[in-house]
Amino acid sequence: MVSWEVPIGAAIAFAGGAIATGWAQSRIGAAGAGAIAERPETAGSIIILEAIPETLVILGFVVASMIILMVK
Amino acid sequence: MDWGYINARMRGMKSHLLDKRALDNLVVQPDLASLMAELEKTPYKNDIIEAKVQYSGVLCIEYALRKNFSRTFRKILKFVREDEAERFITIFLHRWDVQNIKTILRGKNIHITNEEILDCLVPAGELDEATLIELVRQPDIRAVIDMLATWQIVYSKPLTEEYPAFAKSGDLALLECALDEFYYAEALEQVKTPSYNNGLIRNILSLEIDVVNLRTILRMIRDRVDPKEAEKFLITGGREFDRRKLDHLLALHSIEEVVEELKTTPFRFLADIPAPALRTQKISVIEKQLEKFLVQKGVGAFLGDPLSVASVIGYFWAKYNEITNIRIISRCKTADFSLDQLKEELVYV
Repeated sequence: MVSWEVPIGAAIAFAGGAIATGWAQSRIGAAGAGAIAERPETAGSIIILEAIPETLVILGFVVASMIILMVK
Repeated sequence: MDWGYINARMRGMKSHLLDKRALDNLVVQPDLASLMAELEKTPYKNDIIEAKVQYSGVLCIEYALRKNFSRTFRKILKFVREDEAERFITIFLHRWDVQNIKTILRGKNIHITNEEILDCLVPAGELDEATLIELVRQPDIRAVIDMLATWQIVYSKPLTEEYPAFAKSGDLALLECALDEFYYAEALEQVKTPSYNNGLIRNILSLEIDVVNLRTILRMIRDRVDPKEAEKFLITGGREFDRRKLDHLLALHSIEEVVEELKTTPFRFLADIPAPALRTQKISVIEKQLEKFLVQKGVGAFLGDPLSVASVIGYFWAKYNEITNIRIISRCKTADFSLDQLKEELVYV
């Protein structure tokens, strides 16, 4: 039987990454929208920049998985 | 407020401004026709094509530049609408309202036709084209001021107060100075609370006031105007010069003495102007240097915090400088200036 600390820890690890990603993407998205409005040719780079903060939530997901799988 | 979005758009718009190479390309054009053809390869293309329908020669370029300028700032206003940034941007755009009212008053004062006045207006401020056309239709200066008062436009206040003095002396400079004083006082009032954005605007406005005052002092000294009389034309709120320092400068007897006195201020670069230009009381050289200094400081705002009004200030000055440079090039092409002379007149930032 897994104690309650494990899922809570995993949830915090994932939520932290998700919130940070959301915040970063909102800022990058706003600035990116401004850049694309003036220079549509930058759309490719902006989409890549917009995706970079996804690494945070992936990291959160990995940490959450490790907590669930490795903490006994 | 999303400064990130505004900053990205400002920088995107800045990237469309003509760089030094593009300007040099315009400079080397042999005549106005080829200059217009070259401008059609730049973001001014649509404005030039539209202007060609109504005008030709230098008037065509002037019209296109005015259209482009007002369109650009209307576009900026549109994407900051109902945002705190709008307050900061309108401070800068109000100067075009002041400029347009001055132009109308000057036109009415020398009794030129309404069409000629309209050709000189730049509807980049809050007073739109319809409002300006209605103002131009008024028969005289009194009627223009009354119309402004009827519409409860704030600029009627200084004009109404100063009108009796103007009616007595016929000196339009009194009304113009009252307008300037009012504009700067209002603008500084709006940014008096301490914050980074307010500080940026305050700095550039007070620097402008210093430059306006210095220009006034130089002209007054050149024309040997009595310091007591000249005091009326100075504007309070400058960064470097308070009333006492301004009075001290006004009391000097020659332009060389003023330049000497400025050696301990940020305006020390004026000392590099060749002595013969100063001796002949040729203040256009000094005015050019002051303008360059102001533009450089304004465009330098781009180096400030990107998540602030800095990029807007920087863009405003960069666009203003570009328009001024193209106007200089077009005017010099009609006056047959040599390439070296023309390049000297331009301000590269």
